Amino acid sequence: MFSRAVRPAVRAGTVAATRTAPPNAANFATLREIEGRLKSIKNIKKITNTMKVIASTRLTRAQKAMSDSRAYGQTSNTLFEQAETKPLEDKKTLLVVASSDKGLCGGIHSGLSKATRRVLADNPNSDIVVLGEKAKAQLSRSNPDAIVLSFANVCKDIPTFADAQAVADQIALLPTDYASVKIIYNKFINAQSYEPDAVEAYSEEAITQSPNFSAYEADEETLSNLREYALANSLFWAMAEGHACEISARRNAMENASKNAGEMIDKFQIMYNRQRQAAITGELVEIITGAAASAE
Amino acid sequence: MADFSSYNRYLAVAARAVRRSLQDGPRLAAERRGNMDLRFAKWENGKQGEVKNLADANNQAIASQAESK
Repeated sequence: MFSRAVRPAVRAGTVAATRTAPPNAANFATLREIEGRLKSIKNIKKITNTMKVIASTRLTRAQKAMSDSRAYGQTSNTLFEQAETKPLEDKKTLLVVASSDKGLCGGIHSGLSKATRRVLADNPNSDIVVLGEKAKAQLSRSNPDAIVLSFANVCKDIPTFADAQAVADQIALLPTDYASVKIIYNKFINAQSYEPDAVEAYSEEAITQSPNFSAYEADEETLSNLREYALANSLFWAMAEGHACEISARRNAMENASKNAGEMIDKFQIMYNRQRQAAITGELVEIITGAAASAE
Repeated sequence: MADFSSYNRYLAVAARAVRRSLQDGPRLAAERRGNMDLRFAKWENGKQGEVKNLADANNQAIASQAESK
């Protein structure tokens, strides 16, 4: 009768003891903790490594698309170079920021935002069109009043000319008359480095006022078409180049992340082994002292 | 030209017509290049407006233009 009554209390006592973990089991708990952390770092390394491999395979395609579209855009710009077109100073400028929706690719989006802010500080009479969620989030914090249009879902894959056309179309529909359009994009220098750069697309007025334009004998009517088409061409070029930069930056970022995860795994592995060894040694000492004490 | 609001839209329609008249093999590859799935939002006074699908908005604009004629 008595023993039955006392048993639940004993049982409750043992449960409490295992839950709070006695002080001599402290090493054991951290050992378990380290093991858990080690496992999660290993998982992260697997993920970043996979992302790196994916980015590497996409990079070759993106770079090919970039060199094609660069040739295309530069050909389109040859006209303005030959005609020596200059942007008009007095009127509003439109800044088009060619970023993208996805992160995890180092500092390319913040680099673009910074470049945009710099340009904006030089000529405050400008409006902004943002392509991509990342730059939108950054610029909407610093210059929300300047933004007139934002596009999402850009540059998921290699940008198509249809994308560039649709964006150029919307820009042409904007009510304000802009003297020049500056497209800010990441210029691809090599696989390791890129820098924000700008290409210009000019207004009709700027085109007609350019010194050598009369040599082309273009009709007045076709000028607005030329302007829109040139804008789409430049946009396409900038988007393709920005996309290649993003992929290459993501590859680098993921490579670094994998490397750092690897270093951390090594460190934790050593710490884990040392802790485990310490725990075993501690137990051995206890057993031996216990045996020595009982032998006497 | 008069039927189109802009040269780029005219080009897009012409390009679509060419893509659709291709043979099956090249057509699939070409039509993938014609895909456009952008969403856009107009901003006013520092506030983002409604996010709309660009292709839908364009189609609506074309439809309303056709009706007004």
